[in-house]
Amino acid sequence: MDSFGAFTISASALAAQRQRMNVIASNMANAHSTRTADGGPYRRQDVVFTTDPMESGQEGIAGVKVTDIVKDESPFRMVFEPGHPDADKDGYVSLPNVSVIEEMVNMMMASRAYEASVSAFNMSKAMFSKTLELGNV
Amino acid sequence: MPDSMNVLERLLHQTTVRHRVLTSNIANVDTPNYRAKDVAFDQVLGNEMQMATTDPKHLQTSSPAGGSGSVSSEESQLWADKNNVEMDQEVAKMTQNAMLFEAGITLLRKRIQMFKTALKTT
Repeated sequence: MDSFGAFTISASALAAQRQRMNVIASNMANAHSTRTADGGPYRRQDVVFTTDPMESGQEGIAGVKVTDIVKDESPFRMVFEPGHPDADKDGYVSLPNVSVIEEMVNMMMASRAYEASVSAFNMSKAMFSKTLELGNV
Repeated sequence: MPDSMNVLERLLHQTTVRHRVLTSNIANVDTPNYRAKDVAFDQVLGNEMQMATTDPKHLQTSSPAGGSGSVSSEESQLWADKNNVEMDQEVAKMTQNAMLFEAGITLLRKRIQMFKTALKTT
């Protein structure tokens, strides 16, 4: 049995939530980017979390990993702004399909999940230290 | 005498396993289709803690239903992403489990101290 399994699981969650934060930050930073390398406005992105079974093969115990970053295919926001260089012939500009409120909510969720994993990690550490203390009775 | 140590060892082992399962739940709080898991723990401990009787007049402990301590998924209500991890529940369980672990460690320390005292006074 792997003694450090709990640490690995918590660490996987920390890494995954951090990656999610990166994606959210990218979405918020590009909430008004009308040009990208692929052409067209920026598309909102989202992470896909998948369970990552531990190597020991113990039933039911799994870490988490980001398997994919997907683009949100919902329509762009059309804003009437005739003076904008990227406006179409009717004067509408396609702005990224990023909702700042939604991103804020996602950010809070990621942050809470991160904190919870840090707590779990600290608890694992406390338990492990207690076991080591058995040596100096 | 060594019997109680076995029980404590088993307790520490089971709490460690359960801790790992709960950690896994917290790690997967946002994973679609993930089901919260738990260890059928009280039953395992119940089996371990049953007192041995050599005489019908001895105090009888109620025998709990047998449990293998296997990891099972919980069938509570799902969130929209087909995930049923409830963070507050998991943290509460984890705290409870950690306290139980600490109790086990404390008892084991005491047990070792008793052995040491016995050795000293000879």
